[in-house]
Amino acid sequence: MDKILVFVEAKGDGPRKVSLELLSEGLKLVGSGQFSMEAVFLGKLPGTVKGKILHYTEKLIHVTDPALENYTAEGYAMALAGYARETGAKMILAGATQRARDFLPRVAVLLQTGIASDVTGANWDSNPMTFIRPMYGGRVLAEVSFSAYPAIVTARPNSFGVGASLAQKGEFAEFQAGISPGQVKTSVIKREETTLGKVDLTEADLIVAGGRGLKAAENFRLIEELARTIGATVGATRAVVDAKWRDQADQVGKSGKTVSPKLYMGAGISGAIHHIMGMDTAKVVLAINNDPHAIIFNYANYGIVGDLFEVLPAMTEELRNRLGK
Amino acid sequence: MNVVVLVKQIPDPEALVAIGGDGVSLDIEQKFAMNLFDEFAIEEALRIKAKHAGKVKVITLGSRKAIEALRTGIAMGADEAVLLEDEAFLAGDGYATALVLSRAIAKEPFDIILCGRQAIDDDRGEVGPMVAQFLGLPHVGGILKLDVADGRAVAEVAVEGGKETVEVQLPALFTAQKGLNEPRVPLITGVMRAMKAQIARATAADLGLATAQAGRPGSKVKVVQYSPPKKKPAVQIIPGAPREAAIEAVRILMDVERVL
Ligand SMILES: Cc1cc2nc3c(=O)[nH]c(=O)nc-3n(C[C@H](O)[C@H](O)[C@H](O)COP(=O)(O)OP(=O)(O)OC[C@H]3O[C@@H](n4cnc5c(N)ncnc54)[C@H](O)[C@@H]3O)c2cc1C
Repeated sequence: MDKILVFVEAKGDGPRKVSLELLSEGLKLVGSGQFSMEAVFLGKLPGTVKGKILHYTEKLIHVTDPALENYTAEGYAMALAGYARETGAKMILAGATQRARDFLPRVAVLLQTGIASDVTGANWDSNPMTFIRPMYGGRVLAEVSFSAYPAIVTARPNSFGVGASLAQKGEFAEFQAGISPGQVKTSVIKREETTLGKVDLTEADLIVAGGRGLKAAENFRLIEELARTIGATVGATRAVVDAKWRDQADQVGKSGKTVSPKLYMGAGISGAIHHIMGMDTAKVVLAINNDPHAIIFNYANYGIVGDLFEVLPAMTEELRNRLGK
Repeated sequence: MNVVVLVKQIPDPEALVAIGGDGVSLDIEQKFAMNLFDEFAIEEALRIKAKHAGKVKVITLGSRKAIEALRTGIAMGADEAVLLEDEAFLAGDGYATALVLSRAIAKEPFDIILCGRQAIDDDRGEVGPMVAQFLGLPHVGGILKLDVADGRAVAEVAVEGGKETVEVQLPALFTAQKGLNEPRVPLITGVMRAMKAQIARATAADLGLATAQAGRPGSKVKVVQYSPPKKKPAVQIIPGAPREAAIEAVRILMDVERVL
């Protein structure tokens, strides 16, 4: 039976949503009878995180080593490659998070195999399995297959659903990575946290984004109020990030983040290709722009041609009424 | 301080991309630009050189048109340029490309390798970390700040919800993120120099590689076929005055699409 490893990351007191998405896909494959699956967690593992992971896997492997205290690409790569080699894994799945995309290419080299990065779909049943990757900012989809193993795949958050948890908890085991001192030449010397606990844009289900049409930094209040009402994350265009109205972390697009929410609402955004490339896998797009010819309408499911200074507060008010807030 | 910068010439983000009749090739409009993130990498290399002296070398793997990216690098102030040009190098995945680049880098001693966070054409973001691993070096991905002193470097990276400061022993590789610096615009004297500059070339044989190790044969991940993305249905404009339209939009999102 071929073994699948799912690299799991934590956020707050639980596993990341994208990790659960991949564990859920993995469980489906296990259900087909041809695969076994293990969740793999590296570094400090809080009890609550462990408990929740165990409901999505038959087995959780906790890889430990003093070198995994803080994240470093070298340490994580050595540890995961070491465990994959030890168990003869056929596939490694992970969410296409900043961290996974940073160290998994190194794992690929260590195991002399390839990686399919940021896939948005998989054909699990075809032989060999194939994976779908958007290229050229989503203008082309490439279907790729592996000629070396383990196949390493990172999947864009929100590409797969989270399935039901298992009634029974999985097994738990530890694995010592055995990294020798001095092998890791990187060390984390400081960590500053600014916006802890917020849902990151890349994993958000709901996004409300604003562009230069907001006219000033303080007007983002309108975007924030709407976002708060529905529990959405705030996004921005490069134009407003460059104008210092919003932080770089909020930028959606080619030179910012790639997002894939259920709902993307964009107000005062023209729809430049560089912006669209970062959000064109959103399921439902609502655009608000006072220019009926704005390009963003070409990429939207719904559009309101009107002044965002009137539309946004009206939407917030209506949502508050309907949601009883 | 010897700094190597890996750059890539990519189709302009607005270039038309069509899928070839065979389904496994792409027909791309001949409009090119240097990958956005690579410009930050070159700029940082030039700043390191200005502070610590030394040499900046730009390397690219590609066909002849990729020379443009190298000339841009020289025009900005790089000292040397190398084009890795061989039929055998083409259509490689991240692994095959990183293997060739790492061999080319290892030809001469260096202290720092810089490259972009990812190429915005194939969007893989694999090559930087892979080159570091092939060379057995540490890397720091997506840096926003870099300070070099005494054989070590201190880099800042944005992590989810905050910022991390990382120290690393040199030699090391860094991938550049938007926000690292403001790339300079080449001066006319630089452009003149770039036009006359000698561009060194290297083939698979020069790097001691068999053709089976590079390009498509050396790839671990292969394209089976290309397909166009699903077309979005035409937009539905919600009519009415702003207030009415807003109320109708809420109704659609909640009751029809059920995304709220
Ligand atoms: C290499 C490169 C990379 C890039 N990467 C990115 C990226 O990652 N992300 C990104 O976003 N951009 C990126 N850009 C920039 C991009 O090309 C656009 O310049 C940018 O997205 C425009 O931002 P905007 O829509 O906020 O502003 P504008 O294009 O100025 O649009 C403002 C819009 O607001 C509308 N508006 C004005 N007033 C109102 C009102 N009262 N009510 C309603 N609507 C109103 C206008 O009709 C207009 O459509 C990149 C550019 C390059 C060259």
